[in-house]
Amino acid sequence: MISIPDLRIILIDDNEIDLVLHEKLITLQQISRTVLSFSSASKALEYLTSNINLHRIPPTVILLDIQMPEMDGFEFLQAFARFPPKMQSQCHIVMVSSSLDYGDINRTDANPLVVKLLKKPLLAKDLKETVGEIFRDF
Amino acid sequence: MKENRIRILYIDDEVHNLNAFRASFRRSYEIYTASSAQEGKLLLKSIDVHIIIADQKMPVSTGVDFFNEIKDQLPDPIRILLTGYTDVEDIIEAINKGHIFSYVKKPWDEYELHNTISNAFEMYQARKQLKEKITELEKINDELNRFIYSTSHDLRSPLMSVLGIINLARLDNSVKDPNGYVDMIESCILKLDGFIQKIIEYYRNSRLEVEYEKIDFDSLLQECIAAFKPQNTAIEFQLNIDQPVDFKGDTFRISVILNNLISNAVKYQKLDEVNPKVNLTVKVEPHKATIWIEDNGIGILSEHLNNIFKMFFRSKNNNKPGSGIGLYIVKEALNKIGGTINVESKYGEGTQFEITIPNRNDFDS
Repeated sequence: MISIPDLRIILIDDNEIDLVLHEKLITLQQISRTVLSFSSASKALEYLTSNINLHRIPPTVILLDIQMPEMDGFEFLQAFARFPPKMQSQCHIVMVSSSLDYGDINRTDANPLVVKLLKKPLLAKDLKETVGEIFRDF
Repeated sequence: MKENRIRILYIDDEVHNLNAFRASFRRSYEIYTASSAQEGKLLLKSIDVHIIIADQKMPVSTGVDFFNEIKDQLPDPIRILLTGYTDVEDIIEAINKGHIFSYVKKPWDEYELHNTISNAFEMYQARKQLKEKITELEKINDELNRFIYSTSHDLRSPLMSVLGIINLARLDNSVKDPNGYVDMIESCILKLDGFIQKIIEYYRNSRLEVEYEKIDFDSLLQECIAAFKPQNTAIEFQLNIDQPVDFKGDTFRISVILNNLISNAVKYQKLDEVNPKVNLTVKVEPHKATIWIEDNGIGILSEHLNNIFKMFFRSKNNNKPGSGIGLYIVKEALNKIGGTINVESKYGEGTQFEITIPNRNDFDS
């Protein structure tokens, strides 16, 4: 169990089944108590925008799918790059994709906002490790 | 008038030549004439012609000059130069500067000119068809790119969901499955995914530019072993690397080659073998690297050895049929980087592959 009491995980994926899967995986493995699921990048952006004026932004891990209709993962990253630094420093983005495309993988690696790219199917072990690495210094 | 007639523009400052040309050829072709290069250019703005015939010796602008001027804006019409002199200099200049298909001596022989026109038109059509083919191929190429991208994503993504569901079901013990059906589903999904990955690998090999970078065979092979070890933990891997000099090569293709060969060595082991072994030996020299991949597995029937590198060939005598594409990809990848492969095998005893890959370190310095 990861010991950050107010940690929240935001899931962004157009695939409803993956949303359910990832949510179950997180609660089952007690990685985070709060899981917020968004089936589109724009809905997630809207929610995050509403958070900007919060007095305190809780530590957040965003699991972001790459391939999505309308706004894909990379477009989400572009929009998120314009958020206030306070918000960005509290939100840690992990991309989750089944893509084997070199272009996608290279773009993910090159993006400073992305902590890591995890492959689907998302494994409990990998997710735990990644979240652990993010909050190692806490 | 028929639409598919050959359209010819003839430019000559001597009006009686224009008239004579018209008289001789108007029944066979659709003819336009101009008495100067200037007039010819004007005409070309409104009419698409297939062939342009120009007299060389004209005041203001010669035939060659005219062809040279229009060749960038109008590359398609085939150009024929008409000249009273057989001046070699003129002809050489014409061919070099104006991209001229042919020249015809004046006064023209009607039969010869007919022939030249008909050849020129064939050339026109051949070029046009070639252009259309190129556009078509570019389109198909582009579609193939997008197709592969969507294969890599759209086809795999639901498979990965299924694997995710299976993982979850195991984690929360919510599915009672005394007959192991879930495991069977998983193995089918993994097989299908393996095949999709092979197809993507093949495509990448055939389309990606070759890129050379430094390769450390020790870490590359350690990675391979780490990836395959879980598939059969009984296998003893032996790694012998002799790399006294730097090696440069295409990392993607070399790992494709090694992964496929090691995967086979791991997969085609004898079920009753007490000491399953895979030996990997690398020898790097200034101009090449030689790699031996040796196993004591089931081996390959000698009558099949000639076929194993063919696409979709599967050896009959094994209980673990593959996709029939792995060794084909190995061969294709080696072709791309100028490598070679040799195989020795004894049925029931084991197989040894020997590959050589040119060291690009040499070519750089």
